[in-house]
Amino acid sequence: MDDAAARVGEHKMKRRKPGHSKKSKKRVNPSHGGGGPKVKKIDGKMKRLFRKRAREYNSDDDDKDEQKLDIQDDRDISAGGNEMKLLEAGDDDSDDNSADVSGNGSGEEDGADSEDGHGTAKFKDGSNAFRAAFESIMSNAVTDDGLGPVLSAQRKLVAEKLAEEGVEKKVKGEAKKEKQLVKEKGHVKPANYLDAREKFLIGVATKGVVKLFNAVNKAQHAQKGLNPSRSKDEKVIKKRRKEAFFSELKKPSSSSSANLTKVGTSGEDQAPAWAPLRDNYMFSNPGLKDWDKVQDASEGEGGSEMPEYKSSSDDE
Amino acid sequence: MARMHNKRKRVFVKPVVKTPKHVDHVTGDKIPKSFVFSRGKLPGPLRQLQMDLRKLMLPFTALKLKENRRNNLKDFLNVAGPMGVTNFLILSKTDTAPYLRVARTPQGPTLTFKIEEYALAADISQSQLRPRCPPDLFKNPPLIVLSGFGTGDQHLKLTTVMFQNIFPAIDVNTVKLSSCQRIVLLNYNKDTKLIDFRHYSIRLQPVGVSRRIRKFVQNHQVPDLRNLQDVSDFVTKAGYGSESEADDEAATVTLASDLGRVNQAASKSAVKLQEIGPRMTLHLVKIEEGLCSGGVIFNEYGNPSEKKREDPKEVSPQESQEEGDSEDEMDDNDDDDLDE
Repeated sequence: MDDAAARVGEHKMKRRKPGHSKKSKKRVNPSHGGGGPKVKKIDGKMKRLFRKRAREYNSDDDDKDEQKLDIQDDRDISAGGNEMKLLEAGDDDSDDNSADVSGNGSGEEDGADSEDGHGTAKFKDGSNAFRAAFESIMSNAVTDDGLGPVLSAQRKLVAEKLAEEGVEKKVKGEAKKEKQLVKEKGHVKPANYLDAREKFLIGVATKGVVKLFNAVNKAQHAQKGLNPSRSKDEKVIKKRRKEAFFSELKKPSSSSSANLTKVGTSGEDQAPAWAPLRDNYMFSNPGLKDWDKVQDASEGEGGSEMPEYKSSSDDE
Repeated sequence: MARMHNKRKRVFVKPVVKTPKHVDHVTGDKIPKSFVFSRGKLPGPLRQLQMDLRKLMLPFTALKLKENRRNNLKDFLNVAGPMGVTNFLILSKTDTAPYLRVARTPQGPTLTFKIEEYALAADISQSQLRPRCPPDLFKNPPLIVLSGFGTGDQHLKLTTVMFQNIFPAIDVNTVKLSSCQRIVLLNYNKDTKLIDFRHYSIRLQPVGVSRRIRKFVQNHQVPDLRNLQDVSDFVTKAGYGSESEADDEAATVTLASDLGRVNQAASKSAVKLQEIGPRMTLHLVKIEEGLCSGGVIFNEYGNPSEKKREDPKEVSPQESQEEGDSEDEMDDNDDDDLDE
């Protein structure tokens, strides 16, 4: 069996080198050996059947194909978990890697291949080196900066990149802020309380409203109880409005005349406001014309005063 | 059959009655209408300000006016004619400040204001403890109060006339007090040359009535009487804050008619104003003859062309005309800058 296995292994190695040929062979194999000529596809049932047969043919046999199957089965067992994958690989003819691994596995199992032995030694050395490196890394105290544990070569780059990003961000942020400022230009959030200016403005507005409401009150007082949209009331309203208008006209005329007189008196010679202090107080006031006489008369007789007063008023 | 005839007649008559569309049906005055829109792209807060201004101009404005970037002034003007729109309020923005242009269509003049500061209606309602917005607040046009404009300057006079004609005129004989809910105040400050633009809501409260009773009458809710010994306590016990409310004699009016449930015609009422925003501080920069074009009537910064303009009246009419033309061109350029 050993011989056969070795032979087969060699055979396989030889065959594997071309690569594609093996696959084609694999695909062909089952149809040749196991099943009848009708079976072309291998489905799950067939796979199981083949495996069973392989187990049964555990001894040397003449048929090469059957042997191959046997070996394949061995490989499967050695690969362990990869069993199904392998079979699938056989079916799909797409998975080259798994097939290679399986080949290696078989070689190790045989122990005949010198190359494989060399590989393991190398791996051992490699693992030692790796262990040493890993341990040295792990024993290093990690600097507690923002970058974290990074390889030294990388660290510089990362730092540079971060700094660059920071600068970029800053520039972008400033530009954004400026834009926002331009957008919000003139926008002022009002205070929660009323300051003096607002109070003054409200006062002005209130005055205006009061003025209007009083005017409305005055105007609409005349037409109380009348509906302006009714034609009957309209005439009455018109009449009343006219009266109100004329009365209003008369009023300001009197007030304006008063204004005029005021202006006149003040324009003459800055006369004192209190009448008794003015120069012409005695002349303008008829009752005080003959104040000494009146006093005398009042002492003597009361009737003489009246005609005098009348005459003086007539003179004026 | 007769019914049918009647129906037909009614249908025929209806449009005849409806024809004076832009005219107040009580006073017969022409109602001014307005468009509020923007030239160029506006940032978020200014867009909000535009919306606030539209609300302020209600009800005779297009609240949901859709504008396209490709729309130019001519498009708005073409729409304005058949719609009876008489005023444009145009918001624009440059790097230095936002601008508000108030124009009369279709011939102008145009007043350009620089908006030095502004606060949105939302900001103002946020700053208030109890923002007030009754449901029918925007159903009637606001009153307008202009104060401090009587300095005798021509441009100020023009500003007054402009703003007075933005809102419908009030006929004292027919106006209903219940329709006076809002007031727009423009206060000119002589020293700073700035115009304060404020928007308040008007509220009337009966004087001499305790807060408790007022609330009771207003809300129609059963009051809480648990802590009172007698029902009379509810009326006689003075609530806090009632003294401070009654102090302002100047702000009281006697009403011509009943207003709401609380304000009786016979009793006195106190006028209370609460700001609803937006709030703006405007600076009159320029007045143009035409609609965003034409000769400059007034320029705050004393344009060199304006100085020339005052002189040549004495020199010769030909020269002045030429200069006028050059002015027009310059104005156009200014406009372009603003629009961008």
